Amino acid sequence: MNFTAEPVNQETVIIRIGKALDFRNASEFKSACQEQVRKGVRNFILDFSDTGILDSTGLGSIFSLYRQVSPLEGQVVFASVSRPVQVVVQLTRTYKVFRQFPTVDAAREALT
Amino acid sequence: MDVVQYRFSDLNAMIDRVHTLVDHWKAEGVFPEVFEDTTLHMLRLAIHEWVANLVQHADFEDRKPQILIDIKPNGRKVFCAIKDNSAGFDLDTNLRIRESMLQRLPDRGMGLLMIEACTEHLSYSRVDSGWHCLEFSVSADQDPWLHIPF
Repeated sequence: MNFTAEPVNQETVIIRIGKALDFRNASEFKSACQEQVRKGVRNFILDFSDTGILDSTGLGSIFSLYRQVSPLEGQVVFASVSRPVQVVVQLTRTYKVFRQFPTVDAAREALT
Repeated sequence: MDVVQYRFSDLNAMIDRVHTLVDHWKAEGVFPEVFEDTTLHMLRLAIHEWVANLVQHADFEDRKPQILIDIKPNGRKVFCAIKDNSAGFDLDTNLRIRESMLQRLPDRGMGLLMIEACTEHLSYSRVDSGWHCLEFSVSADQDPWLHIPF
């Protein structure tokens, strides 16, 4: 699947993760995010509302994005986190790294 | 519920079929009520990570890949056995290597550690006919934690 970025402003985009972010499409996700960083985007809202699968490789690709944007004072935040994704977040305690918002709108409001 | 067995042979389609299967269990209420969503998602994650590991790294030599998944709920636990006809590897050694090499916010190397974190009694050993078998339990009482350096 394609990871399309919906601009919020010049520095912030929403990425709809879709049904899965795993070893099959993690490199595609990384490429899509790198393209946005090259354009000057620093803040990423990841919309997990439809996501049934987040695996270790998918999580690793999000860590990679975080490592890219955090030195630029950027943020990666999770929005509308589905139950399967919440299980991975809880297992890895990554809520300590990525702020979570109940909806994409709430994340958008916090980042603008 | 009795033991349920599933056989897979198409590696490319395997991951999607595994998830379809778990969705089916959930929709049909296959597991007792004691298994909340979290327990089922732990089971789903462990199976996904293992099959993903097989798809990406296993050496099936010249054999047609085959994977057999057995599941059996038992009290507040679900027992799972995943047999494969790959050449196998030393899981314990790999786990300890990955644990020692885990970097801050790592890109890779978390899959096997995730399986270890969300399961109990994990083992991978050679069984009859040259196949290998991963065995583990997932407990309804677990609050697992994989320590990742931030």
